[in-house]
Amino acid sequence: MIVTVKKRDGREMPFNIEKISAAIEKAFRASGELDEQIKASQDQLNLLGNDDVLSSTALQVAASAVGLLEAEGKVKPEIEEIQDAVEKALTEGGYADTAKSYILYRAERTRIREVNTRLMHTLRDITFSSAKESDLKRENANIDGDTAMGTMLKYGSESAKHFYTMMMLKPEHSRAHSEGDIHIHDLDFYSLTMTCCQIDLKKLFKGGFNTGHGHLREPKDIRSYAALAAIAIQSNQNDQHGGQSIPNFDYAMADGVRITYRKAYLSNMVKALILLTGKTEEEIQPVVKKLHAEMAEMGMVATLVPNEKFVEAEARELSKTFDTEIVMKAQKFAEKMAYEETDKTTFQAMEAFVHNLNSMHSRAGAQTPFSSINYGMCTEPEARMAMRNLLLTTDEGLGGGETAIFPIQIFRVKEGISLNPGDPNYDLFKLACKVSAKRLFPNFSFQDAPYNLQYYKPGHPETEISYMGCRTRVIGNNYDPTREISFGRGNLSFTSINLPRIAIKMKSVDLFFKELDRMLQLVSDQLMERFAVQSRRKVKNFPFLMGQGVWIDSEKLGWEDTVGEVIKHGTLSIGFIGLAETLVALTGKHHGESEASQELGLKIIGHMREFCDKESKRLGLNFSLLATPAEGLSGRFVRMDKKKFGIIPGVTDRDYYTNSFHVPVYYKISAFKKLSLEAPYHALTNAGHISYVELDGDPTQNLDAFEKIVHHMAKVGIGYGSINHPVDRDPVCGFVGVIGDCCPRCGRSEGHAISEAKIEELRKLYPGMPAFKGIR
Amino acid sequence: MSEKELSKYGEGVGFERIRRITGYLVGTIDRFNNAKRAEVNDRVKHGV
Repeated sequence: MIVTVKKRDGREMPFNIEKISAAIEKAFRASGELDEQIKASQDQLNLLGNDDVLSSTALQVAASAVGLLEAEGKVKPEIEEIQDAVEKALTEGGYADTAKSYILYRAERTRIREVNTRLMHTLRDITFSSAKESDLKRENANIDGDTAMGTMLKYGSESAKHFYTMMMLKPEHSRAHSEGDIHIHDLDFYSLTMTCCQIDLKKLFKGGFNTGHGHLREPKDIRSYAALAAIAIQSNQNDQHGGQSIPNFDYAMADGVRITYRKAYLSNMVKALILLTGKTEEEIQPVVKKLHAEMAEMGMVATLVPNEKFVEAEARELSKTFDTEIVMKAQKFAEKMAYEETDKTTFQAMEAFVHNLNSMHSRAGAQTPFSSINYGMCTEPEARMAMRNLLLTTDEGLGGGETAIFPIQIFRVKEGISLNPGDPNYDLFKLACKVSAKRLFPNFSFQDAPYNLQYYKPGHPETEISYMGCRTRVIGNNYDPTREISFGRGNLSFTSINLPRIAIKMKSVDLFFKELDRMLQLVSDQLMERFAVQSRRKVKNFPFLMGQGVWIDSEKLGWEDTVGEVIKHGTLSIGFIGLAETLVALTGKHHGESEASQELGLKIIGHMREFCDKESKRLGLNFSLLATPAEGLSGRFVRMDKKKFGIIPGVTDRDYYTNSFHVPVYYKISAFKKLSLEAPYHALTNAGHISYVELDGDPTQNLDAFEKIVHHMAKVGIGYGSINHPVDRDPVCGFVGVIGDCCPRCGRSEGHAISEAKIEELRKLYPGMPAFKGIR
Repeated sequence: MSEKELSKYGEGVGFERIRRITGYLVGTIDRFNNAKRAEVNDRVKHGV
């Protein structure tokens, strides 16, 4: 007789026949095979519940299943054995349909169990392994997977991915994703958010704004401008799963500098008059303040570069009260002091801005906001002061001299504005090169690239090209061609295609394009599915992004309105990875090695772009083609393809697929040639792109070469580019630069100790050295 | 601080190495995932 059963985890439990019959009952309900009998018995005898036929039949089947087991001599049957017996008993009992639903029920249970097991394994990995051992915890390097909040975020993220894969995605999309044909990015936020947004700071600051935790008044000097800029980024970050960018940092900060200067001029004018006339502050301050207010109403204000209209009118009016000579002297003093004070305050404001963005928390403290700022086109003196000080503080680094990771700075380059000697912002461009040669930022965006220039209207900063630091670009607008701007817009979601796999599977170019078309259509459908989910979200789900009018036209919506219409301004992007490996699989050579491969590469990417344009037209939305950043994705596809197809030289023989359309990182090629080969892909990837080259040694020692490369980028039509070089730092002595085996400043090698006497000696030479304490 | 402790000033402390991961930077290379680490190791310098 059966007394116990063996569960899947090996434990023995008391045998309970009712558990078996309950499962069989479910199968009967699903098949409906007993429905007629139940109805007949109901008609006969209403007193008995309809469950009786069901449960008694189920119990009978369960009993015969047990009989079968016992006949086989099973004393402690396993779950699987019991289920086999039930299937047999149902079939023998003549319940074919029910047997079928029982099998389906079994399969479904197995599937859920497997998913749950996988989820539990994942959660266990997150709980018990450190980021050092767990690749999963380093999927996104900006999240510290070792912290409590980083771990909590990871639990949420992994569970959400499981949930959406099981319950929300269409099976064909879910399968394509889990099998690695495509990658649905930010799947953990599938039903919640859109990717990113370019925040128009000037619009946001007007009249102040609410963070959701309190109202902030319109800022009144450069320090509060900079502080609020950081807060705006932080607040918006919690409403999106991607990054935040400011497209008009120069224009917005100029306003803050203007107000700061005006105030500084007033207070210094008062000080000068006190000193020169011997009168008291009470006598002087009200007179000057009233005069400035009256003049402001007539449009005359003190400006960083003194304007004649103001200077003359002020002199004339003040001379009515004070001696003319004193007034002239006071003006000179106030101008000089106000300039210096404003410059200093602006530096402090920019310093605090960078510090804030590297220390303020978002997403429950697991990471700092992913922030970018675009600047470089505004030539007003106030904007130039903000940009210069931003670059200077970036050059200095953070408190201990560390390189700031955020914000990603993007310097806009344009002929006639900044690119060439004699251009009004050429000095800033030179400074940007110098800072980038030391700190890796700023990156450079190219306003004159034809596909960027076509949108540009002088005097309209919203038409300047803006990038998210990662590379995302939103400017064209098929949904509303009158709004081809970057302000208030962003990407909604993106999904990448595993290009190398198509090439490996199809082998021939013709078949490749056929399969590519199938994949493009699949991704387009998937993006539309997600778009429908996103469209049903309401303003209240995005208290800052939509509630504060950051997203374009959201100010016209009410709290309970859905966002479907306004998010049509956003982009749905199709991405890709591994063009180089794709070309090797198809032709044996990548585009760095062969002109024919380059031609084919451009044909493939051009074809993908055409598809996006066609979908935009067909659906009235903004489909765009993305050269996917692929941080987490860099290893995922190739790991799967290695398993599926084995090691194919030049295709699956490394741990990563080459980024987007890049020439492989391991291929020896000159910086100029690499950029020339990659530039035509920038023109095709309208959802975003970046190219970078690797410089040897310390580029601060060769700024000419650095500048030449940026010029070459502009010449060949790169849209967004940067120059890589090693940035190392010794936390013990604070040296920043290239460190080989030992530190050029203190001479210690990695992990080794030096004497405190040596540190003290160095501190005399380098007063800014960080205070490194104790054994770390 | 005793002599013994003094001699440990900096012991076990590595160098921080910052590299561009895609368009952006992240902390130091030890935050990179395995694939990205492999890619950084493979990167060759481009002559000018």
